[in-house]
Amino acid sequence: MIQYAKYLIQFFLILLFQVIILNNIFLNWWVVPAGFPVFVPYIYPLFILLLPFELPVWALLILGFVCGSVMDTFMNTPGMHAFALVLIAYLRTNVLLALLPRNIKEYKQESPSIKSLGWSSFMIYTTFLILIHHSVFYIIELWSLNNIGYLMLKILASVITTILLIAVYLLLFSQRVSQR
Amino acid sequence: MNSANLGVAFWYKKQSDVSYYFALKEVNDSLLNENTRLKRQLAAATESDVLKDSSVIRKELVNDSVKSVQYAHYKYLQARVVNNSIQAASNFITINRGAKDGIEPNMALVSGTGIVGRVTNVSTHFATALSILNTKQSLSSKLKDGTSSFVYWEQAAGPDKLLMKITQPEIKIHKGDSVFTTSYSTLFPADMLIGTIQKVFIVKKDNSRLLHIKPATNFRNMDYVYAIKNEFIEERRRLEDTTQTQQALQKK
Repeated sequence: MIQYAKYLIQFFLILLFQVIILNNIFLNWWVVPAGFPVFVPYIYPLFILLLPFELPVWALLILGFVCGSVMDTFMNTPGMHAFALVLIAYLRTNVLLALLPRNIKEYKQESPSIKSLGWSSFMIYTTFLILIHHSVFYIIELWSLNNIGYLMLKILASVITTILLIAVYLLLFSQRVSQR
Repeated sequence: MNSANLGVAFWYKKQSDVSYYFALKEVNDSLLNENTRLKRQLAAATESDVLKDSSVIRKELVNDSVKSVQYAHYKYLQARVVNNSIQAASNFITINRGAKDGIEPNMALVSGTGIVGRVTNVSTHFATALSILNTKQSLSSKLKDGTSSFVYWEQAAGPDKLLMKITQPEIKIHKGDSVFTTSYSTLFPADMLIGTIQKVFIVKKDNSRLLHIKPATNFRNMDYVYAIKNEFIEERRRLEDTTQTQQALQKK
């Protein structure tokens, strides 16, 4: 039971970082083309990405819905975060099955991390799911294809920024394997 | 579930208490600017030298009662913005005043320089407002000469641009003209500044003109806003509804 306390702390840490700091930084990559989209990097899907391997899919879906609903409440959106997050919570297991060298059942008490997957696999896993999450979220939010260039640009800029922030988070908070 | 909830607004309040400290200088300057502007208006309205300037003789006696009806029924309440967004399709503002302070749904929200939005949800100590940067609702507006139309927003336009369409081809439009709210809207008081015209585009399809308007409010950093309550809104709505129902009945 005690190992789950870590994920609870992670939940609050990631959500508070998202809500209190990131939601108040409106990023514009550059200002010169005035139409460049303003966006907020959403790093909260990281909570779902870092949950342990042994968690069954139904638990992932419930946790995804809870986390997404909390974000929806903070951002005043009608269920859009919850939808996108439940989708990647469902897809998570399939992506992991494709990337892991051994069967997923063999990883006892471990969670996806740089230690268990390695840098390249972990970044593929993160980028793929974040890309799906952001695409789905922004498509639902804009809900029109009149400005497809704007949509693409927003997804691209937002995904790249989010991946950079996630890399920083992982460098800060993952246990380093000492190589001496 | 929205950010007027006590648990949610609590975190936004904590966050804003910290960041507010760093914005004190800008808040001070903006309040000073606003004060100067209001002082200037007050001076123009009251301290004009009637003997020297014959154009300022106003019909005080006639206008007095009219004026009291026009202005006294708007009640202003001040509030601080604790959370704000500009990147979403419908942007919301959370303010630190709620039902306990007299905030009600459908009150108008204005900043020191221009209009901001409409209060949607109210809790005991907080309220959320739908900013005019939203794709759902447009706002009736007019140009300096009284040509009325409506102001709307698109997400791709970004937070520094509002859109307005003028269909009459004979109206002269200049860059830098101001756009105001109208009295048709039951929300905002008439003649409040929405913004200034930045660019004029001609839509070839129907020969109308699309105006890009720079909003008077800076949505990127808002500190203080005023909530406006229209005291006579119920009366006006009731009267208008009665008239409409009567007309509908007469048609039958």
